[in-house]
Amino acid sequence: MLAYNTETKIGSTIAIIFVGTALVAAIGGRHVLPYSPTQINIGDAFKGPSLAHPLGTNYIGTDVLSQIIAGAPNDAMVSFFVVGFASVFGGLFGAVAGYLAGWFDEALMRVTDIFFGVPAIVLGIAIAVVLGPSPVNVMFALAIIWWPAYARLSRSEALKLSQANFVESARLSGVSTRRIVLRHIYRIAIPTLLVYATLDVGTVVLAYSGLAYLGLAVRPPYPDWGFMVAQYQNYLFKAPWLALTPAVIIVIVAAGFSLLGDGLREALQREVGRQ
Amino acid sequence: MSLITFVLSHSISSNPLTAWFGKGVSIDPAAAKAYIKEYHFNDPIYIQYFYYLDGVVHGNLGISPTKGEPVITAIAQTLPYTLQIIFFSLIFTVAIGLASGLLAARYAGKLPDKLSRALYIIGFASPPFFIALAVILFFTLVFPILPTSGGIDVSITPPPNITYIPILDALITGDWQAFESLLSHAILPSLANALAVYGVLTRILRSSLLDLMKSNFVTAARARAIPERKIFFGHAFKNSLVTVITLISLLFTFILGSTIFVEYVFSYPGIGDYAVESALQIDYPSILAITLTFALMIILANLVADILYAVVDPRIRYR
Repeated sequence: MLAYNTETKIGSTIAIIFVGTALVAAIGGRHVLPYSPTQINIGDAFKGPSLAHPLGTNYIGTDVLSQIIAGAPNDAMVSFFVVGFASVFGGLFGAVAGYLAGWFDEALMRVTDIFFGVPAIVLGIAIAVVLGPSPVNVMFALAIIWWPAYARLSRSEALKLSQANFVESARLSGVSTRRIVLRHIYRIAIPTLLVYATLDVGTVVLAYSGLAYLGLAVRPPYPDWGFMVAQYQNYLFKAPWLALTPAVIIVIVAAGFSLLGDGLREALQREVGRQ
Repeated sequence: MSLITFVLSHSISSNPLTAWFGKGVSIDPAAAKAYIKEYHFNDPIYIQYFYYLDGVVHGNLGISPTKGEPVITAIAQTLPYTLQIIFFSLIFTVAIGLASGLLAARYAGKLPDKLSRALYIIGFASPPFFIALAVILFFTLVFPILPTSGGIDVSITPPPNITYIPILDALITGDWQAFESLLSHAILPSLANALAVYGVLTRILRSSLLDLMKSNFVTAARARAIPERKIFFGHAFKNSLVTVITLISLLFTFILGSTIFVEYVFSYPGIGDYAVESALQIDYPSILAITLTFALMIILANLVADILYAVVDPRIRYR
């Protein structure tokens, strides 16, 4: 399924490199990096890309490649936690609402309306400010605003499924509501949620880097992609690679997951069509 | 919405007084006492929330601890600039989106289609601050004719408040110097917003056009030997415009999200820049009020879009 077409191949390659880098950097720490991502070395400041420093050095001589690698685990952790939380929490909520219908459904939909009434990033900023600047807090802030979309998606699946014959027969044979929702509805909605979640990893990376860019996620000298862009944009004309490299990396990761998600969706549709 | 942020801002920090008043608490106990009275901090939280809502409907959004002025004043100063940007952004978005959507559908499967798809994917994957920086870089190095920072030249006095929208005021008072300065400062941020969001329009317009070109009335037109060009622009494109109109409220929401970053990068004195400034200085009353303002704008935009929709498409008018 991963080799479905060229775009999916590109997408899955990017996704694997991203996750691999994040895992290696998270487990290996400083030992796997070519240089320390916080080391100050004034003599080496503003070096352009070279063999010793493939992505150059910043204004205090820190190696940019090391910073990029060291920043990967943050983005990976936040994006996978947020889509994971949204798929489970939002997905289950939506499945229950779609199956039970009635007042619970109505109440849940009104709650999600609130979240769709304002750009996600505005609410994200507000919550992140209240919680205080740290990657984990931004992660929670994003999780709070991210689940409603999954609840709606899973609810629309559940609405379709609750009329299906096998759900009907399960209900008639006295299967408990909890079991129907978990085994007959949520489990069948999982592929749809997964495809959406794949597309969404890139979106979360974008939202997270946006908040990091505004300085709501990390404090210097801790390396983070979005924050690096903010730190280095003052040198946009003197050393453009400093701000552009992390930005381009964000674009590549986000585009990769969006290609992968598109490919998976097509593959899933074809699979459903074949059945 | 206001409830979520309000409850959070009061429950997370151990002392809401510090959150709302700033760090001046210890310096000026008398003022702090006045604050406790003003915001009813000694009452239970739902009572406080009630007082806050009561203030909101009376135009009292609290006082910003960092700016030292009522939040409503700061919003009245920044919102008009954002409205200007949103107006121009929508124009740019529709222009770019229509052009690339038309090209992609007209040459479906060929080079223009593939190019527009590649640009769409890159645009979709780009954080707005990156697009803003790229626009600044390009227009400084390659095409240095437009200003890349601020809302108006420092040397020019802003026009007097008549409509509260500076660019309209300059037009009404005939102050061409101010008008030109305001306009030229608005162009690049608007362009950056448009580049960040136009992709959705392109993609939906393309698929809607391709669907329409397969529809029965197009086949009928072909049977009558109407030139393909005329069918495309006269029949299919005209009908797809309804899709464009319904998208405008969605695009508006997207632009609101991206303008926060764009205004910050361009130091444009709009509500987005104000939002970032108050976020960085942990100014709760301002953030709360800004969130409310954004929600209000989106509700209004949806209302306008619904009305527009009925104007364009007679079929839904009497439902």
